[in-house]
Amino acid sequence: MSDDLKKGCEGYSEDLAELALGVLTGRDRALTLSHVESCPRCAEELEQLARVADTVVQVAPESEPPVGFEVRLFERMGVADVRRHRFRRSHWIPVSVAAAAAALALGLGLGLSSSPSPTATAQAHHSGAVSGDLVENGRPVGRVAAFGGSKPWMSMTLADSSARGTVNCVVVTDDGVTHHVGTFVARQGYGAWIAPLHVNPEDVRTAEVVSPSGTVIATATLG
Amino acid sequence: MRQSRVAEGELSDEGLLAGMAVGEQAAVVTFTRRYQRRVFGLAYSMTGDAGVAEDVAQEAMIRVWRHAPVFDPRRGSVASWVLTITRNLAIDALRLRRAVPTDPDDFAASVMRSNEHNPEDSVHRGDVRHTVRTALEVLPDEQRRAVVLAAIYGRTALEISESEGIPLGTAKTRIRTALIRLRAAVEPIEGVSDER
Repeated sequence: MSDDLKKGCEGYSEDLAELALGVLTGRDRALTLSHVESCPRCAEELEQLARVADTVVQVAPESEPPVGFEVRLFERMGVADVRRHRFRRSHWIPVSVAAAAAALALGLGLGLSSSPSPTATAQAHHSGAVSGDLVENGRPVGRVAAFGGSKPWMSMTLADSSARGTVNCVVVTDDGVTHHVGTFVARQGYGAWIAPLHVNPEDVRTAEVVSPSGTVIATATLG
Repeated sequence: MRQSRVAEGELSDEGLLAGMAVGEQAAVVTFTRRYQRRVFGLAYSMTGDAGVAEDVAQEAMIRVWRHAPVFDPRRGSVASWVLTITRNLAIDALRLRRAVPTDPDDFAASVMRSNEHNPEDSVHRGDVRHTVRTALEVLPDEQRRAVVLAAIYGRTALEISESEGIPLGTAKTRIRTALIRLRAAVEPIEGVSDER
């Protein structure tokens, strides 16, 4: 008897959430997918959870791509005369695009907005988070983002840093006061954490990764 | 020719995708500039490595460009589609870098899932970011950590259990509970319901 038959729907309920988030791996992933294929109820549950998972990524902090990102991308796409697009100050596009959009709108029942789309409008404004690169000896080794609201929180990622084992995360506010955020574990220089933030994110000047002995390993200036 | 152009700000994301689909380069440029900070930001958040994040972001934008002709706006928002593509690519990059052993069957399973859950099946239009952020705020801290670590940082339940110092089952439960609570919050605007 396979594991699939042994578990039943209840046995897969929690794996469905991980599958929807794209983080279920290996044998569990294969078994869960196999079950979903033969279970309409779990397939429906997976679909709904996946829709929610797709929305959560939208709160990820924005970040300016490296210099040249756009040029390299357009070269791959074969977009000609990048410079013209790049330096053209006019915010206009050919009518053929509008026509194509109008055709899409007519065919699919969607309106061509007369103002920037909600998505575009949101992008034009600050995402609501402050963020910054974690820098160690002049080298970027991660990212920090702080989110406001009724229950502020912050996230931190470390990659290829010298941090090992237990480290502390602190933030320094504009008044110079240092606030301890949490204690985390870095594995061979890598790690990702989320923690409640007990100060206003807008007041945070820097975030630091600090060793247990008090040595500052990496610092991020938030803005 | 008079009125041969329309202001780019007047075009929705769907309109720009339509322009990309017919090979309009100006649409490609405008769309890229509208989304590159979000795409790179997500990739950078997940990988923590600017080089890897650029590779992920570039590949994501290339895929969006190539698949623009088949995007179906009735099934979800452009933003969700683009960011889901980015997230999936970043998760793949994380797995490669961590050298996590995978079952050979998983390759087939990945294909199956791609067919089952099209990333286009996501959300309707609207600034869902505010709604999601608000919904995250009201979650208990431990649930918010779990779901954000999994959704945005690509952490598995096992990794979360280790970093949080909790049993694996507890990590799984937190992820699932958080996702279900978020579903209740975003359902009214996202159409996440049994009626779909």
